[in-house]
Amino acid sequence: MRSWVILFTLSTCVLSAFSLEATETGHSNNWAVLVDTSRFWFNYRHVANVLSIYRSVKRLGIPDSQIILMIADDMACNPRNPRPATVFNNAKQHINVYGDDVEVDYRGYEVTVENFVRLLTGRLPPETPRSKKLLTDEGSNILIYLTGHGGDGFLKFQDSEEITSQELGDALEQMWQKRRYHEILFVVDTCQASSMYEKFYSPNILAVASSLVGEDSLSHHVDPAIGVYIIDRYTYYALDFLETVEPSSSKTLSEFLKVCPKRFCISTVGVRKDLFRRDPKNVPVTDFFGSLRPVELTTSTVNVSPVQLNNTNSPKKPVIKYKYVDQFPDLSYV
Amino acid sequence: MRIAVYPKCEKFLTSICEWAKGCLKVIQLQLQSCAKMRTAFAMYFIQALILSAIGDVGFVSCTSDVDDAFNEELMLKPLPSGHVYAHFQFTTLWRTDIETETFQHSRLFPRGLGEIIGRHNVRELHVSLTEGLWRYEKWGYPLQDTGSGAEVYAWFNDDRRIDENWKSLTNALAGLLCASLNFVDVSNSLSPDFTFRPSGAIPRPLNSSCLRYSSLPREIVCTENLTPFKKLLPCDSKKGLATLLNSAYIHNTNYHSIAVDVRPVCTNAACTQTTIELRQTISLVYDTMTTDSQDWSVRKLFGIGLRSACPLATLSRVYVDVTDNETSETYRLVPEPPETLISLRGGQENRIAVYDIKSLSNAGMFNVAAVHSKAKIYGVEIPPVLFANRYVVGYGQERGGLVTKLHNNYWKPLDVVLLENIPWYIPVYTHTIRITCQGKLLKPLIKRYVPGRERERPYYLEMVLRLPPRSVTEFSIELDYLFLKWQEYPPDANHGFYMGPAIITSLLPTARNYTALPQDGSTISSSFNASRDGYLVQLRTEILLVSLPTPDFSMPYNVICLACTAVALAFGPLHNITTKRLVLKPSKKNKLVSYIREKLSKTKVDKIE
Repeated sequence: MRSWVILFTLSTCVLSAFSLEATETGHSNNWAVLVDTSRFWFNYRHVANVLSIYRSVKRLGIPDSQIILMIADDMACNPRNPRPATVFNNAKQHINVYGDDVEVDYRGYEVTVENFVRLLTGRLPPETPRSKKLLTDEGSNILIYLTGHGGDGFLKFQDSEEITSQELGDALEQMWQKRRYHEILFVVDTCQASSMYEKFYSPNILAVASSLVGEDSLSHHVDPAIGVYIIDRYTYYALDFLETVEPSSSKTLSEFLKVCPKRFCISTVGVRKDLFRRDPKNVPVTDFFGSLRPVELTTSTVNVSPVQLNNTNSPKKPVIKYKYVDQFPDLSYV
Repeated sequence: MRIAVYPKCEKFLTSICEWAKGCLKVIQLQLQSCAKMRTAFAMYFIQALILSAIGDVGFVSCTSDVDDAFNEELMLKPLPSGHVYAHFQFTTLWRTDIETETFQHSRLFPRGLGEIIGRHNVRELHVSLTEGLWRYEKWGYPLQDTGSGAEVYAWFNDDRRIDENWKSLTNALAGLLCASLNFVDVSNSLSPDFTFRPSGAIPRPLNSSCLRYSSLPREIVCTENLTPFKKLLPCDSKKGLATLLNSAYIHNTNYHSIAVDVRPVCTNAACTQTTIELRQTISLVYDTMTTDSQDWSVRKLFGIGLRSACPLATLSRVYVDVTDNETSETYRLVPEPPETLISLRGGQENRIAVYDIKSLSNAGMFNVAAVHSKAKIYGVEIPPVLFANRYVVGYGQERGGLVTKLHNNYWKPLDVVLLENIPWYIPVYTHTIRITCQGKLLKPLIKRYVPGRERERPYYLEMVLRLPPRSVTEFSIELDYLFLKWQEYPPDANHGFYMGPAIITSLLPTARNYTALPQDGSTISSSFNASRDGYLVQLRTEILLVSLPTPDFSMPYNVICLACTAVALAFGPLHNITTKRLVLKPSKKNKLVSYIREKLSKTKVDKIE
């Protein structure tokens, strides 16, 4: 094991010697916060939405440790699901977006407005495990994807509470002030989705919404096998596009912004570019959906010092006598 | 560049390094010619490729001073009800003291789990995630008892800052296993006196203040729990029996349970040293009756055959319990088992077919199939010695009752410990406890009761009962349903609230239908021919769904709307009347008439004045 660790460091050092032009975007790492806010079986499509994006970002290289996935209800193993442990994007079962290797960080009752805002702003209780924290810094590009039921200026969580666009805007501003991001791609697939980004006032945010205020975001089609709508239109076409993206491909965000024209989506996709400094035409999709690995250049040789084997004889411990105890109480005295 | 490593691997590593350098040169050349590939991802990919190649060879060949072993076993057991019970057990044994180990460096033991144990001063840890209910009366006793939903209990080395440690431990486990174990806190945790005793070796007596137990019956189990579970295994799911764990074939079962158990066990017979034992188990119950034929096979159950054993495993075996073959059903195992052993345990004889995967490694895909020559005849299933049921009685959303029925089919009295785990929002009345058996009242031998406190601790009720021979004992208690605060209701409050299972512990005198491992055993093979004085069972009853009274959640909005309407209707006109003068406005159409009327009224007013 130790030798393996050495080899790991060694090869990392050697590989660092290659020159890379990956720093031009200014970000050093990628994170994704993917939230499905809807509970109940009839909201199957929202889970399929969020898992579609999860599948894409994972395929394009963001590791599970840098994806925060919040799913408000269990669809894959729901007793109503005739195909356990699967969530499909299509009635013809083209893609199992749930996959065989999924890590859900917040699930069920944990998906609340409070937890979501705490996650973004980093104000979590001290015992929170690492997988439930958004450990971003000023070099992080974050993809935030929200789906659920929304209205003009709010998004419902689990049908019992809601986050307003002002609260969301303030949370993002707090993130900016705390240097928790470099750039954010904010994607929201709800009814009247564009109302969610109207109150944003922090820099470096590109926001995309599946519908404008006054419009509904519509679902794509019904799967008769499960009896409910299987996915929403916007995300269906977004996944369609993302499936064509490869980690090395040069597709840009401007193409991503055009994935769902009105004749497909029926709603109008809203985009807010004024806070974003770069031109989406020059931004690769992989800046947000892919992952950049930090590789530092070095020209100096690295000497690996020999490992000191820990052979010092530890002082002899006093002999302790261990024993197994009876697993059932002794009732002889009763 | 020089690397000092263990002498055994030095030569090997040098060759690996040279090979890696060679690879890098080639890649460098390719990169120079191929500009497109100069992206971060491509680089990472190559790096990962080389690392994995080195890693694979490296960690198989190099031995170190860490003394550990890994075993993987699968027990397949056709049940009399027509189901097939599959139990995977992955055991990691690490010869070190759990109390002093820093978990900084480990080989086969998952470091992530080790750090959690070390940091929270844990002596013994048991976590399980279960979907479905184990049907004791039909299926007998499982290799491991687990309650529906999530169940976690831990022994700590001492009780200093134990509540903080417990909270922090469950949070860490929540992150590790992708389950909502962070909902465990003092308000739903118990420290029962009798039900749980340390199952591992201990240097000094531990009392129940070092124990915490909690269950989350609502917890679901799905692929997201299986994925991190597999990642704790030394071979992940790449090699060995873990390749059979495909989520689609695990979650379509009647019962599935994932469990992680850590405890210290004795290394030698004198027990002067301890070994950390990590037991990862998956229990599955497949229904073979709904399919066309009763034949089953590894490929049919798990969707895939077995390619090879995990190279890190010392023991890699598949067992098939063929005891019932040729009595209640007739089938033939394909391929023929190389070895069939007879296990005598507590008067029970079992025949076990043993397949050693290590010796079969080169034979291509391995598949065990049971081919029936005759259709199975379903006879009367003889229920096991002890089993229990629990249900809620009463109607309405104000008060109800709880009944637990304990069945003793043995010809002698049986002593059992009954632990009732009642959440704080279901207050119980102790004076209503009635334990009846065959029309007579039964007095518990020992009774422990700590009343719950709202939002602070659950109701703890533990009793030792002596069940008369061949009897059904009924325990009942009356309870109330509490009205919670508005914010305390979950989003789907109308679904109801779950109550964790009751636990019934007993030391059975016979091993009929008993399959569990003995206390001093670590592998499934240790349960063969393991006759002991008693056989511990910890039955879990059904989890119960109760409907608490729920408020009309839209009431505040209704009140606001109604109040506003009332105010608007009543206040508006009143305000208008009291503050404004009503003056007739002259109409402008008929100027002449209005002029005259104005004049007239003016003169009238003047007169009055």
